[in-house]
Amino acid sequence: MSEIRVVTNILQTNDEITAKNKKILDEKGIYVINLMSSPGSGKTSILERIIAKLKNDINIAVIEGDIYTTKDAQRIEAQGVPVIQINTGGACHLDAEMIKGALNSLILDKVDLLVIENVGNLVCPAEFEIGEDIKISVLSTTEGNDKPLKYPLMFEKSGAIILNKLDLIEYTDFDKIEFYKDIKSLNANADTFETSCVKNQGIDEICVWLKSKIQNKKMTVK
Amino acid sequence: MHEVSIIQSVVEIVTNKAIENKFTKVNKVSLKIGELSGVMTQSLNFAFKSCIMDTMLEGSTLEIQKVKAVAECIDCMQQFPIDHFNKLCPKCNKFSSNIISGYELYINTIEGD
Repeated sequence: MSEIRVVTNILQTNDEITAKNKKILDEKGIYVINLMSSPGSGKTSILERIIAKLKNDINIAVIEGDIYTTKDAQRIEAQGVPVIQINTGGACHLDAEMIKGALNSLILDKVDLLVIENVGNLVCPAEFEIGEDIKISVLSTTEGNDKPLKYPLMFEKSGAIILNKLDLIEYTDFDKIEFYKDIKSLNANADTFETSCVKNQGIDEICVWLKSKIQNKKMTVK
Repeated sequence: MHEVSIIQSVVEIVTNKAIENKFTKVNKVSLKIGELSGVMTQSLNFAFKSCIMDTMLEGSTLEIQKVKAVAECIDCMQQFPIDHFNKLCPKCNKFSSNIISGYELYINTIEGD
C-alpha cells in the first residue's frame, strides 16, 4: 500500500469553469450579481423593481435559477429584459457549469448588468462561486432576525445584504438592532439596504449604489 | 445537501489520481475541511458511503481533518483564530475579512494498492 499527496481543491472543476465565466464577463465589463436568499424572501420582487427603475439607462440580463418552474423567469420577461431559465431539476444551488451554458444563450455584447438569481436556499448557494462580482443576500422581516447567525456562510460572503418586507416588520418580532449587530459580527464590510417591494421603498437607494458599481466595472475595460 | 456534489467531485478526482498512480484499489481518502466551509462531516460520511459503491473507492475509509479558521489583520499583521461571529483583531479590535484559512475544501492524501 502506498500513500500519495493529492492536495487538490474538491471544487476545482467548478472553480476552473468559474474562472472561464469570469473572464468572458470581465472582458465585456459586465457587472455580475449572484442574488441569494431563502425561498419567498423577495428576490424576484426586488429584481422586478430594480429592473423597472434601471432598464431605460442600463442594459440588464437575468439568469433565473429554479428547481422546476419558469414562474420567476416569466415575471422577469414581463419586464422586457432578456432572461435565461436554468432548471436544476432538484439540485439546491447553481454551479459554474450551469452558468456557462446560460452565458452561451445570452447576447452579452450589450449587457451592463447580469443578475443571476440563485435557487431559493439559505445554505448551499453560498458555497459555489459562479463568476459573480458580488454576492447579495436578501432576508425578509418575516423570517426572523436570527437567520444570519443560523445560516452564517451566506451572510458572511455577501458584499451587500438587503432586509426586505419592511412594511411587515410591525407584525413580527423582528429585532433590527439584533439583526445589524449580528450582520456586523459576521461581515462588517457588507453594504446594507432596507426595502419594501409593496411600498416601493428602498429601491432607489439600491439603484444608485448599483449604478456606481456598474460604472466602476465598465471603467476596467475602457 | 451539497455534500453529495462535493463527494461526487471527490470520487472523480480520486479515481483519476488513482489511475494515474496505477492503483487498482483505493483504501483511504483524507480530506481537509475548513471550519467555516459550511460542510457537515456527518453528511460527507453519509454521501461517501453511497457514492463510492461500484467505484475504485468501494470499501475505503474517509478521514476528515478539520482546518482551524484564522484571519490576519491587515494593519498589524497579527494572525488570530476566528469564528463566523468574531473576526475582531485582538490587538487593534478591528474587523478583518482577510481570512487566511477556514474555507478549505480539499483532498489531502489517498492511500491505495
